[in-house]
Amino acid sequence: MMRQFLAAALFTVVPAVGSADIATAVDTHVIPGFQAFAEATAVLDQAASDSCATDDIAEAYHNAFDAWLGVSHLTFGPIEDMGLTLSFAFWPDPKDQTGKTLNRLIADEDPVALEPSAYAEVSVAAQGFFALERTLFDTGSDSEYLCALTRAITSTLSANAAAVNAAWGTYAETVKSAGQEGNDRFRSPEEAQRALYTSLSTGLEFVHDQRLARPLGTFDRPRPRRAEARRSGRSLQNVAVSLAALRNLAVALGDSQVPEAEAAFDSALGRASQLDDPVFEGVADPAGRLRVEALQLQVRAAQIAVANEIGARYGISAGFNALDGD
Amino acid sequence: MLSRRAVLSGLASASSFAGASWADAGAPSHITAAQERDQTFSLCGLRQDGGLAFRIPLPGRGHAAAAHPGMPEVVAFARRPGRYGIVLDCIDGHVIQQIEAPPGRHFFGHGAFSADGTHLFTTENAYETGEGKIGVWSRSKEYVRAGEFASGGIGPHEIIRIPGTERLAIANGGIRTHPATGREKLNLDTMRPNLSIVSQDGRILDVAEVPEDSRQNSLRHIAALPNGLVACAFQWQGDTYDAPSLLALSVNGGALSYVDLPTALHRAMTGYAGSVAFTAGGQRIGITSPRGGVLGIVDAHGSAVDIVHQPDICGIAPSATGMIATDGLGGVVGITNTFTRLSTHPVAFDNHLVRIEQQGTLGT
Repeated sequence: MMRQFLAAALFTVVPAVGSADIATAVDTHVIPGFQAFAEATAVLDQAASDSCATDDIAEAYHNAFDAWLGVSHLTFGPIEDMGLTLSFAFWPDPKDQTGKTLNRLIADEDPVALEPSAYAEVSVAAQGFFALERTLFDTGSDSEYLCALTRAITSTLSANAAAVNAAWGTYAETVKSAGQEGNDRFRSPEEAQRALYTSLSTGLEFVHDQRLARPLGTFDRPRPRRAEARRSGRSLQNVAVSLAALRNLAVALGDSQVPEAEAAFDSALGRASQLDDPVFEGVADPAGRLRVEALQLQVRAAQIAVANEIGARYGISAGFNALDGD
Repeated sequence: MLSRRAVLSGLASASSFAGASWADAGAPSHITAAQERDQTFSLCGLRQDGGLAFRIPLPGRGHAAAAHPGMPEVVAFARRPGRYGIVLDCIDGHVIQQIEAPPGRHFFGHGAFSADGTHLFTTENAYETGEGKIGVWSRSKEYVRAGEFASGGIGPHEIIRIPGTERLAIANGGIRTHPATGREKLNLDTMRPNLSIVSQDGRILDVAEVPEDSRQNSLRHIAALPNGLVACAFQWQGDTYDAPSLLALSVNGGALSYVDLPTALHRAMTGYAGSVAFTAGGQRIGITSPRGGVLGIVDAHGSAVDIVHQPDICGIAPSATGMIATDGLGGVVGITNTFTRLSTHPVAFDNHLVRIEQQGTLGT
């Protein structure tokens, strides 16, 4: 028993040879994530074509949004090449471009919404989950035009998700063959590791700096109305689902040898599940604010753990210039 | 300020190098500060092909450097609010001398040489009053402090010489800081950045202020063409997603006109531009955002040509074939009609990449 233990311990300190971490991340995180996203948005589009009533679509909307959060941090590759990042999710939006663009379409009853194949050409602010959130949860009307708009949004969303998922079919091989002869996109395994690691670290940063910091604002000026997806009541859920996805990527990249990161993610997820403040309204009151800040601190701990356990192993000191700020 | 005598003495000093040139330093085409894997700091000379021409230790984190127009000599500046500038001979890497900011001043990390190479100009903070200053140093007299003049604003950051001319362009960032409070920004509510064009003897020729409704757009970095077109790169101090454009153009300090960048590029930059450069011929502008990990290439009319995602990309400068950029992960990339990774070095390249101007090619 002891000998077995020693042998196991010895193996764990041998540095990973090749790029098992890349293949693991692609096969267990990226590919299933985009498949789930494509499927959930197809279900959503079907639900919207069956009925325009929010009650009938809400469940599919939430499932699809969850699936998006499973991959939203994976901005390199097909999403970037096709320029689709913002068309899935246009947030933060302090100038309310989503509201303004939709209002303009609605006021004009712009026929672009009647032809779903053309809808991909409208401003990205009027596409994706945040536009759909408005048509489903915010307009207080159920006009025929609004119904067409909802369907144009879900149809475009579903088509784009399918395109990205299909493209990942071949792109996955590009990532996994990093460093091999003829791979011009990733000339070394390190480049693929960096792309994946950057997805992880910027994903965590987005949770900390945007999803949590925006509603927190400052003590003197909390900004609960800046919470993400508050109209559909999923600000906290976005944080939790996103953290779960990022945890999954961290474990894959870290070859399951990231105890500090796993513990930090688990603490953050534990706090999120106990918070009971779905749209962060509590930030305006001192006690409630403290609880959201505590969650934000746990996310910071996860950022640090990921940098220590994965970034350091990859030789990446993230943000040398980004953090310098000069 | 630059008398005939100063010019002559500069020439005399130059001749004492007995023909030494940049080619003797392994033909570097660019220089940049870096951090080594062991957390020490260095100044690197890079070749056009991305190879390392030299690597010289620095006592602390550098920021940018000024390359002498004709000699294998650079002055590397400490990161803000540093007080040192190090004059290096890039042939053998020896430190020729150190310059130190005078009492009550610190450097902002950028500098530029006069057209004839006899004088060095440095951006400085007179921090008790908050005035921006340009320090003048005489190269021919072992970089003795020869004087100073007003930068035309608060927080002068990058200074460049408009190629082929004797005019200096200064990015006055508008933000007041004091070394006692580090980089804390003391005047965000009243800041008013500007681009100042000055003569080499300190006369202010033109000032382009940032418009009132975007007064929190801090102008930090600039690039210029011989015809006086200046590209301006900004760092927005307000809500990231409420930022105005981070790229503007000005002709010789005339009114700033913002370049309307595509939404995808604008948002990816997260309110922060790190460096800006023109291609040598001026057909294209490259603007980087290390925070967004993104490089935007736009044509001279401001239309986006390409958007490239590259983590921690920041340094960018013209090259013989287009532009070269560097990142905090040791990457050197060449930008022509395509984007090619030239090399990866085991260092973190710091904010700025500076092209070495060779004598005889000034202004091209």
